[in-house]
Amino acid sequence: MSRDYPLGTIRTEQVWKRFRADQQRMLLRDRVDQMARRLRGDRGEDWRWALRDINLHIEPGESVGLIGSNGSGKSTLLKMLTRVMYPYAGVIDVRGRIGALIEIRAGIHPDLTGRENIYLFGALLGLKRREVAGRFDDIVEFARLGGAIDRQVKFYSSGMQMRLGFAVAAYLEPHVLLVDEVLAVGDAVFQQRCLDRMREVAEQGTTIVFVSHDLPAVQSICRRGVWLEQGTVRVDAGITDALAGYRDSIEAQSEASARVGEPLQLLKYEVRGEDAEDTTLHTDEPVTVELTLGGDYRGDATLHLGVSEGTSSPIFQISHEIRMTGGDHRVACVIPRLPLPRGRYTLWTGVYSIGKTDGGTLMSWHSAGQFDVFGPMLDTPPRAVVMAAPVFVPHQWED
Amino acid sequence: MGGQRAQVIDEPRGQAAPPGAPVPAGPPPELVFKRRLRPLQVARELWAARELVRALAERDLRARYKQAVLGFAWAVLTPLALCAIFTLVFHRAVKIETGAVPYTLFAYLGLIVWQFFSNTMNQGALSLANNLSLLNKVYCPREVFPLATMLVATVDMVIGVGVLGLMFLVFWTAPAATFLWVVPLLGIQFAFTYGIALILSVAVVYLRDVRHLLPIITQMGVFATPVAYPLAKIPQRLQEVYVGVNPLGAVIEGYRKALLYGEAPDARMTLIAAASSLVFLVGGYLVFKKLETGIADVA
Repeated sequence: MSRDYPLGTIRTEQVWKRFRADQQRMLLRDRVDQMARRLRGDRGEDWRWALRDINLHIEPGESVGLIGSNGSGKSTLLKMLTRVMYPYAGVIDVRGRIGALIEIRAGIHPDLTGRENIYLFGALLGLKRREVAGRFDDIVEFARLGGAIDRQVKFYSSGMQMRLGFAVAAYLEPHVLLVDEVLAVGDAVFQQRCLDRMREVAEQGTTIVFVSHDLPAVQSICRRGVWLEQGTVRVDAGITDALAGYRDSIEAQSEASARVGEPLQLLKYEVRGEDAEDTTLHTDEPVTVELTLGGDYRGDATLHLGVSEGTSSPIFQISHEIRMTGGDHRVACVIPRLPLPRGRYTLWTGVYSIGKTDGGTLMSWHSAGQFDVFGPMLDTPPRAVVMAAPVFVPHQWED
Repeated sequence: MGGQRAQVIDEPRGQAAPPGAPVPAGPPPELVFKRRLRPLQVARELWAARELVRALAERDLRARYKQAVLGFAWAVLTPLALCAIFTLVFHRAVKIETGAVPYTLFAYLGLIVWQFFSNTMNQGALSLANNLSLLNKVYCPREVFPLATMLVATVDMVIGVGVLGLMFLVFWTAPAATFLWVVPLLGIQFAFTYGIALILSVAVVYLRDVRHLLPIITQMGVFATPVAYPLAKIPQRLQEVYVGVNPLGAVIEGYRKALLYGEAPDARMTLIAAASSLVFLVGGYLVFKKLETGIADVA
C-alpha cells in the first residue's frame, strides 16, 4: 500500500483512459464479422486516447480549476475522480467523501419528492440519515425550495432541480467537491450564490475541482489551474498563468482564421502610446490606435473598434464614420486616458455600411490582435455579473 | 492609479511540459488497470452501503406505488390471481394430485417463491440500466442496485406470506412442525436469485437483447419450475440435473414438505440445490465485478 494521505487528497499517477473510436454496433452480424477478423489475427479495434499520462497531486483544501477546450478530457478526468469511470491504466486515489455535481439532476429521481431525494443522495454519499437531517434545513434554504420540497421532483423547473442538486452536493460536507459545468442552468443570482458557497466550502478546507468554460468564474474560485489539451496536461500552475496560457491559445486559433473575400481588409494596425517610438502602453495615459484599411469599396461606412479582455469579455467599443475612396485608408483614434488596468487585451474591428450592422458587412467583426498594458493590477474584485462593454472611454477621432 | 509600471507581463505563462519529455505512446504495461477483488474489502464496502440499499429499496417501493390506487395490494393480487388460474387449470382440469393438502395452498406456496424470483429477476435485470443517470454521477458499490430490487421483492414476499397465514386459517390446517427447515431453504433461494439478478443486470447494460429475453424466461420459467405441480412430476433420473440447473425446484419442494406435509426436505436434493446456488452467486458476483468497470464507458 502507498502511504496514507490525509482526507481530501487527490492523487493520480500515470492515468490513461481510452475509448472505442470505431462504430460499436451491437448487431449479431457485426459480432460475427468481428470474430472472423479476430480469428485471422486482426484485432479490428480502434481506440482513441481520451487521457494520456495524467499526473496530479492535489492537497486537501486546494481549489483547482480544470480548463481546456471541448474534448480535451476534462469531464472524463472528473468522472474517474468520482470513481464512476475506471482508468485504462494508472492509479487514482481520492481520499474521503466525494460530493460531485457532474450534470444537473445529479442523483435526482423524478418520481420522488425533493425531501426523499435529499436523503437518497445523502445515502449515496455514505451519510447516515441523522447526519442528513442535521443539514436538511440548510439545503432547503440554499436551494430556495420552500414548500416545493414535498413535491415530486419531476414537477420542478430545471432551475429548481439544479439548485437542489447543487445544494445537496455542497451542503453534505464532502471532503472533495467536484463541479462540472453545471451552473449555466441557474440564473445569474443563483450562479453567484453557488460561487460564494464554493468559496466558503474551500475556506473550510474542502478540496475543490471545478470544470467550467466560464473563465472568470474559475478564476474567482480557484488558486491553481490545470489546462488539459488533447488528453494531456498542458499547464499545471497558478490559476492566472494557466488561464493566460489557455486564453492565448484560443486567441491564436481564432486569429488563424483570416477573413478573405470581403470588400474591405485590415491591412495594418498599431496600438501605441504617447511616444511614437515607444510601443508600450500604460494605464491612464494616452493611447493611439491606428488602422490601415484597404479594398475596392467606395463610399461611406462605419468603422467599429472594440477592446475585450481575453476573447470573451468586452470592455468597450466605439465607432466612427469613414469615407473610403477605393484605395488604402489610414485612420487613427486617440484615447487620452486609457482606462485599462494591467493585462493583455484583444483589439476588435469591423466595418459596416452606414446605419446597418446586419447585412451591410464590409469587414466582419473580428479580433485584429492583442496588446499589453502596463500599470497597476486591479485588486481582485468580487465577481459580478458581466455586462456588455461596461466602460465608457473618452476619445476623439482624426482622419 | 499609477504606481508600479513597466513590469514585463509577457513572461512565459505557466510551465508547459518540458519539450524534452514527450508523452509516451502508451502506458507502461505494468500499470494497466486490473480488477482486483479483496473479499474483505468488498464485504466492508457492502456493509457500509446498507443505508443506501435501504434508501434505494424505499425509493423503488414508493415510486412503484405512488400513482397506483391499489398500492401494496398489488403485491398480493398478482400471486392470488395466478393461484386462482392454477387452481382452475391444474387442479380441476389436469388433476394434479397433492394428497391431503388443499391444492390452492400447494400452488400458492410455489407462487410466492416464483413471484419473488421473477420480480427480482425482472426488476433486478433492469436495475443498472434504469439507474444509469445515477451510476454515471455518483460512486457506490454497484451491486447494491440488484440487491435493493431483491429487498423490494422480499417486502412483497413478506406480504405474500401474511396472506399465506390467512390461507392456513381458511383451510383450517396448521403449518407443520418442521417449519424451521425454511431457514436454510430461504438462504438457497436468496443466493440463487441474487446470482441471476447480478448476471442479468450487467448483461442488460452491454447487450440490450437481454431485455427482450426477460419476458420469455418469466413465461417459460413459471411452467418449467414445479410451481403448479410437484417435483415428482419430473422423471426421477433427471431430477438431480434439474435441481442443479434450477435450484428453485428443490426450494419449493422443500417448503412444501416442511410446511404442508410435515416432512424434512430431501437432503440430497437440498444439498445439490445449495451447491448450485452458491456457484450461481459467486460466479454471478465475479462476472458482475469484472464487467462493472466498463459500465460508464458503454452507457
